[in-house]
Amino acid sequence: MIHLEGITKSYNSRPALRGVNAKVERGEFLYLSGPSGAGKSTFLRLLYRAELPDSGHIVVNGSDLPKMRRRDVADFRRRLGVIFQDFKLLRRRTVAENVTFVLSLLNLPEKDQQRRAYLVLKQMGLQHRMSAFPDELSGGEQQRVAIARALVLQPDLILADEPTGNLDPERSHELLELFKTINYQGTTVVVATHDRGLIEAHPARTLFLDRGSVVKDGWGSVP
Amino acid sequence: MNRHSWREVKRQLRESGPAGLVAIVLVMVASAWGGVLWSVRQWVQAELLARGRQTTVVAVARGQAEAATLSEAFQGRFPTLASVSLTPRKVQEELASWFPELSTLLLTLDERSFPSIVQVEVAPDQEEAVASFLRSRPEVTLVESSRGWQARLEQAVSRFFFAGFVLALTLLIGCCAVVLLVVRLLVLNHADEIAIMRLIGAHERDIRRPYLVCGSLLGAAGGVLGAGLLLALELVLRPTLPTLAIENWVLGALPPAGGLTAAVGAALGLASLPREP
Repeated sequence: MIHLEGITKSYNSRPALRGVNAKVERGEFLYLSGPSGAGKSTFLRLLYRAELPDSGHIVVNGSDLPKMRRRDVADFRRRLGVIFQDFKLLRRRTVAENVTFVLSLLNLPEKDQQRRAYLVLKQMGLQHRMSAFPDELSGGEQQRVAIARALVLQPDLILADEPTGNLDPERSHELLELFKTINYQGTTVVVATHDRGLIEAHPARTLFLDRGSVVKDGWGSVP
Repeated sequence: MNRHSWREVKRQLRESGPAGLVAIVLVMVASAWGGVLWSVRQWVQAELLARGRQTTVVAVARGQAEAATLSEAFQGRFPTLASVSLTPRKVQEELASWFPELSTLLLTLDERSFPSIVQVEVAPDQEEAVASFLRSRPEVTLVESSRGWQARLEQAVSRFFFAGFVLALTLLIGCCAVVLLVVRLLVLNHADEIAIMRLIGAHERDIRRPYLVCGSLLGAAGGVLGAGLLLALELVLRPTLPTLAIENWVLGALPPAGGLTAAVGAALGLASLPREP
């Protein structure tokens, strides 16, 4: 599902990733862990092609990202569910519109869009906030909308950047349970987090990054 | 265009605010001016510069006796054409009737101040031959033809229309520029949202289409108002110029023309949109 080979990435000559190699099989659950500035977000940004590496190969879901044509990027991203650290909600659209927007890109019938959006928002406990605008929601609610938007497409791969950052511990564990359930159904899940407690409570393969390099690839929480 | 896109267009139209209104007004003025220019041009061509109209050739004779000799010679040369000989008195009366405000003055002048005239109505193709004949006659001091005046009028009108065309083109470029700025402002305001839309899988066409439609709708609205303005102008001018008619197709063409102009402006405005890496 994901194959990275010799990936390096620098910002203004400051290396963010240095020769990263990683392989994630289809249906796997992977944590990306490490301290702030370790390169977790850059790693994820490379996976959904928001960035291109300075060198190396990345293949995600069968697509060779550095060689991908611009016009194919949108279709590639539609098969991913990305949960951003800063939510990235569309401010001028309601909660329901934020979720149905991604469905509308697939030209699904209007009724189908509404039904699927309602179901996923209900799952997130936001069915009563469907006509609210993002700025009217708390941080936790916004995060759940972002998660709903990522899940509604039933993607092949979920990439989550600190998805529990704004959630209380109970909601965080519920979310991880949800990710696990989705993962059991065959979806590959990659979660970037620095929350060791969460990794210990829901152990899975963890890639530990430090200063742009993979320092450990193992099961559960790492030093 | 799905429901999301239409809602986005509505939001953009609201957000375009005063700048959008300026764009609409500018397109309205430009399209109405374009319509006026076209309709007046057609009217001038049909009413004043028609090629098939009879031409009047006027020859000024040295005196009344010369005028009579000239008429005879003319009949001999052109037996099928009728000439009218006007005495100085008749010329004086004619001028007084054409310029009533000067009639008192004109009628008090000595009739010898006015020339004897021989006037001929001819078909356009005969005008040259008739004028040449009259010019060659020793009795004649001056020959003038309405065709000559028509040519001068045509030249003046073509200059006026060239200036009008340049103005229309300037207005058109102005419309494009204003819509370009409106769209660029919207794009700048929505830069974050556009980046998010890309990240969640929106194609460039999904992102750009609402802006293009918004720009085109501003232009089309201006075109509709321009057509209304033109229609109002026609109603106002009808008592004075009953033959001046605005053709339906001109009215119908203004909204799409406005829309198209604005769409070009919107497309140029979208050129500033940064692309994917």
